[in-house]
Amino acid sequence: MLNVHEVLKTFNQGTINQKIALDKVCLQLLPNDFVTIIGSNGAGKSTLLNAIAGNFLVDSGKISIEGIDITRLPAHKRAGLISRVFQDPLSGTAASMTIEENLIMAFRRGKVRRLRPAIGSKERDLFRVELEKLGLGLENRLTHRVSLLSGGQRQALTLLMATLEKPKLLLLDEHTAALDPKTAEKVLELTCGVTEQQKLTTLMITHNLDHALTFGNRTIMMHEGRVILDIKGIERTDMTISRLLEMFEKASGSHMNNDRMILA
Amino acid sequence: MFAQIALGTMEQGLMYAIMVLGVYLTFRILDYADLSVDGSFTLGAATATTMIVGGTDPWLATGMAFIAGTLAGLFTGILHTKFKITPLLSGILTMTALYSINLRVMGRANISLLGSQTIFSDFSKLPLMEEYGVFALSLISVILIGSVIYFFLQTELGLALRATGDNELMIRSLGVNTDFMKILGLSLSNGLVALAGSYVAQKLQFADASMGIGMIIAGLASVIIGEVLIGTSSIGRTIIAVICGGILYRVIIAVVLQLGLEATDLKLITSFIVITALVSPTVRKKIASWSAGVAGKEAQ
Repeated sequence: MLNVHEVLKTFNQGTINQKIALDKVCLQLLPNDFVTIIGSNGAGKSTLLNAIAGNFLVDSGKISIEGIDITRLPAHKRAGLISRVFQDPLSGTAASMTIEENLIMAFRRGKVRRLRPAIGSKERDLFRVELEKLGLGLENRLTHRVSLLSGGQRQALTLLMATLEKPKLLLLDEHTAALDPKTAEKVLELTCGVTEQQKLTTLMITHNLDHALTFGNRTIMMHEGRVILDIKGIERTDMTISRLLEMFEKASGSHMNNDRMILA
Repeated sequence: MFAQIALGTMEQGLMYAIMVLGVYLTFRILDYADLSVDGSFTLGAATATTMIVGGTDPWLATGMAFIAGTLAGLFTGILHTKFKITPLLSGILTMTALYSINLRVMGRANISLLGSQTIFSDFSKLPLMEEYGVFALSLISVILIGSVIYFFLQTELGLALRATGDNELMIRSLGVNTDFMKILGLSLSNGLVALAGSYVAQKLQFADASMGIGMIIAGLASVIIGEVLIGTSSIGRTIIAVICGGILYRVIIAVVLQLGLEATDLKLITSFIVITALVSPTVRKKIASWSAGVAGKEAQ
């Protein structure tokens, strides 16, 4: 499904701040895989997602989805295959535009934008049905501006936008980290629902070790631009948070110096 | 006398409203302060007058003025998107380059159209249009252009343009080439500004190399005045607000001139209007918090 092969990315090459962000990362995903990614700050988790989404081009290596080589494609040309939810609830929607306008833009993800009226009654009906599933009462607010919504509502809307038109790959970059615990649970619940229902292949970054082990079918840990741990199946079911921390220390030779992960 | 001044002001206001619609596209929709406007306004005037003097049909010359403007916008857009030059600097570079280009186009610093055929002289030949030809044609043009922009902004392409100005990262992740959208917006905007320039030149019956100076500030002032007075609750309302802002700006200028100020003071007044409009929200907030403080003390 997704094949990341020996991807190398160095930031600030040739300067004093040179940093190898991705050190020959290899990662293969099977169809319907839901992989959670953990690791301390600066481990390369977001960089990996950015590389897959095409926010920058990698120095070497190869990225392909279902056999289609996307290594050299700019971000907007990968949009037909990949959809994404960011950490910041503000960054996934256009605030000055209405809910239905945001949805229709997502509905046309990766397609050519034409000079024709964007929204018809057929799309509106579809949006109402889909919004109703969120259970936030947004189905009656189609023409309201997104800036009027709360962070949680906006993130739920972003999630709906990302999955409205089924992507080959869904990238979730700590998409619940900026929400209050209750809203975060709600958004995670929606995430699980939609990924199961649509059988999506998903990569989810999280700082919550509990979530990392409960959600999905596979967990990888990154450190200094490399994948240092990859667990699935029975090994993963038997895993506990404290053992995970132990393994991290053994594999990386350092302590997990991130309160957010340990306290989660 | 008064009626004549009023009519003249309305005519000018409607023509400038075309320019303001162009400024609205970049300044509000794309969130891009495009200074090329000063140059492209003159470019439109220069292109149209030169072609008319050369014997071209004025309607065709006006169309060519629009196209010349879109090319200026295209240039600014390429400087910004392909070569990563900041929006302000890209606009200034185009504006400066256009000053020389405009002089090249005209061949001298100003051209007179006295006695030449213009779109207005053509239109005035229609029945009932003898007296109000300029007014009617300007009004029709503004309504037409305003409606086209309104419908365009509801299309798939229009939504992508608006989203590019609102949240570039998001719309790119949805598969839109934002560089293309910016170039498209800048081209359309400068095309409209040049079109307005060609209208004004044909109304005044001359073009001058410096007639576009300060046009961007006038455009921003008009957008802000309109938005403050009429509101921005929907796209349609904002477009109407922007058009009214353009007309009102001309009315303010006319009143100020009638009060006895010199035409050379206009730029100062324009800057003052923009500063007032930009400063007033902050001042209003300060006054509100100050009066709340006073009220609080009184309550104690």
